[in-house]
Amino acid sequence: MSSSGPLQGIRVLDHGHVWAGPLVGTSLSDLGAEVIKVLSPSRSSGVSMAGKVMPGAAGGASQVDTTDPTQYHGYERGKLGISINLAVDEGKGLYRRLISVSDVVVENFSPRVMPSLGLGFEDLQKLNPGIILCSMSATGATEGPWRDLVTYGPSLGALYGIKSLLGYHDDPMPREDMADLDPTAAGHAVFAILAALEYRARSGHGQHIEMAQGESAIQRIAEPIMDYLFNRRVARTQGNRYPGVAPHGIYRAAGDDEWISIVARDDREWAALTSVAAASGHNLGGSTFATLEARLAAQDALDEAITAWTSLENAMNLSRRLQDAGVPASPVMNAPALAADDNFHALRRSGMQLGPDVKVTAEDIYQGVVWKLTKTPGGIQRTVPGTGADNARVFGELLGIARADLDGLHERGVI
Amino acid sequence: MPESALSGLKVVEAGDFISPAYGGKLLADLGADVIKVEPPAGGSIRKHGPFPGDDANIETGGLHLFLDANKRSVTLDLESSEGAQLFRDLAGWADIVIHNIEPGRLERLGIRYEDLSSDSPALIMSSITVFGYDTPYRDWKGSALTATAASGLSQRIGDPGKAPLWIPYCAADFQGGLHGAIAAMAALQARRATGEGQHAWVSIVEVLGNYLGGSGVPAFVFGGLTTTRAGTHMPGFYPWEVAETADGYFEVITMVDAQWRRFVELMGNPEWGADERLQNRWTAPAWRDELDAYWHPWMKERTRAELWQVFRDNHIAFQPVQTVDEIVASPHLEARGFWQEIEHPVAGAYSTLGPPFRLSATPWELRFRPPLLGEHNADVLGGILGQSPAELERLQSAGVTV
Repeated sequence: MSSSGPLQGIRVLDHGHVWAGPLVGTSLSDLGAEVIKVLSPSRSSGVSMAGKVMPGAAGGASQVDTTDPTQYHGYERGKLGISINLAVDEGKGLYRRLISVSDVVVENFSPRVMPSLGLGFEDLQKLNPGIILCSMSATGATEGPWRDLVTYGPSLGALYGIKSLLGYHDDPMPREDMADLDPTAAGHAVFAILAALEYRARSGHGQHIEMAQGESAIQRIAEPIMDYLFNRRVARTQGNRYPGVAPHGIYRAAGDDEWISIVARDDREWAALTSVAAASGHNLGGSTFATLEARLAAQDALDEAITAWTSLENAMNLSRRLQDAGVPASPVMNAPALAADDNFHALRRSGMQLGPDVKVTAEDIYQGVVWKLTKTPGGIQRTVPGTGADNARVFGELLGIARADLDGLHERGVI
Repeated sequence: MPESALSGLKVVEAGDFISPAYGGKLLADLGADVIKVEPPAGGSIRKHGPFPGDDANIETGGLHLFLDANKRSVTLDLESSEGAQLFRDLAGWADIVIHNIEPGRLERLGIRYEDLSSDSPALIMSSITVFGYDTPYRDWKGSALTATAASGLSQRIGDPGKAPLWIPYCAADFQGGLHGAIAAMAALQARRATGEGQHAWVSIVEVLGNYLGGSGVPAFVFGGLTTTRAGTHMPGFYPWEVAETADGYFEVITMVDAQWRRFVELMGNPEWGADERLQNRWTAPAWRDELDAYWHPWMKERTRAELWQVFRDNHIAFQPVQTVDEIVASPHLEARGFWQEIEHPVAGAYSTLGPPFRLSATPWELRFRPPLLGEHNADVLGGILGQSPAELERLQSAGVTV
């Protein structure tokens, strides 16, 4: 199970469920760690909603088809799969042995679950003083009125004020986002784990990372929060507009549901934008929009004037002309357009190696490793894990448990 | 006082606006010594605001005050050959350079990884790009809005027939900073094993498209699925939507059948609860308007506070859409000691956001206030790079520093 990634030699126990937790494990695997997905023998901890398994989730199958390219996508790929019943003493005993040979544990249960199993941080630390436990609850493990709220990413985003800002400028009702709260929390957890590994490399000490997912997600709305703290102004939905920049929008292009995003951040970019428009016979110049102040004051008229021009243009063709003139612009890409896009392919193929257990080609993998480490590229180590598929490898090879004893554990429902 | 996780780590932050500043903040708040290199007139973050009283001042912008605590500020005109040389010298001191200078400009200024690492093989450079470092669109200009559009995410947010939406307040740039910081820290782990530094980079478009799942490409390639926008609803699952109440909005989502049944029971177990179209959450979106009509009136007659209490009592995951003032007043964040107070010579005392995560042995910490523009020129250019006071004065009058 060797990899070239920067986390080669790091072993992770992954109890993540739904999205945020599992994505942490997959990220660490993409970076070269050996990630062991810990599932209960009785039920999968992957997402199963109304009987339909989400793509990329461990689905409770004991074996996964390693030649099926869809199994290399999503947020469970790259892991070994084991099953342990943590509710029985024998299962806890096995788990404690795993802790003593592991580096990182990731869980996103509600705050009371791990301690109630006798597997709180203090318990783990006694077994392995270098262990790093990353606990990702929704609202945090310390006392507070929201501590035991039941949430999903989208409702947590609503609770923390993030959702109130996403929508059209002329209608305060929020629109659904793309549920970015989970991956935002996952990214912060990965960063914190890497920092804890760095501290451990210097000191030998592990530690407990206690994370409220809402508190990691709220960082990105610091701007309206600071505005409220300074000026008591309560920001609401603003469409695609952004304070202090105009134009800053997504405009209709020629075709069915085709759109182009355009931003002019300063007078130079605005002048370049007007010259591209002029070259196709559209006048955005003149005094109405000459200064940023004027453009900010007349954004409806500005957006209308730009739309009158862009709605006649092909989004990609116009984006290229604007980019040639030094103006930030891009078509609004959809999945078919991205699937045919050279840049998307260059990105997903860059900095990715395939492990020996991978039975598809890099061509088949549309979600690559997003961190491009030029000397130690990460990679895809394997498919999504089957429940208990790697019991023999982990309990047998790693812990040295004899075959006959493994059979007994299996018969007693411990694994 | 406990040691910090990143004590002793030397970081140079350079570039424009939010992404390098957020990456630098993540490192600085865990104890790294982050030197922020700014143009002599100050970086764009200082000019953006929001400003107290809307009174523009490069020392009091809200984004700057949030992003730049725990950092030192040095001004360098990278467009001058002397400024670029001082930057190369500073990179020689650093463990990590994190930046979002466009690949073409980096080359023109002579500060690519190859230029900086020739005498410093242990150097790590993390480049935050929009479209990639060595990819076909590497020279395309980008911003948070255009990156969100280019990633596939926007296509899936907003109303059918109306303009797709970005994720507001430059969420894309925060993602860039976060993943640039992850790349840097991962390279640091590799350096522990090999002793060698390296160049690492991320693309914001790829982070949004692939890490946040916005591209939709795997579902399209393998399943022929094209997802489009459904306004206040998430396509493909029910219920997953924003609903109106008497005094604002509520996020209505659950993936647990028992929660949905409890919700229906709360309304007095109406007959429609047995409507078979409601029994399969994957096919239910086809009748979303009719199904919504069953329970939207019940929500509209009640306030968020009433609904919240009922849902909490019944362990249902629906949550109120709270506004920015409400989250600032949250008793929960108060109980967790989330908000931080900082004293600043120009802005006065102000509050800012607290930690995104808590480390038990090496706490996240605001050790010192955000720097004034160029406040550490003498410390850094003199103390670290050994420039004499006379030389510093000459650099200043030549416009290389402030």
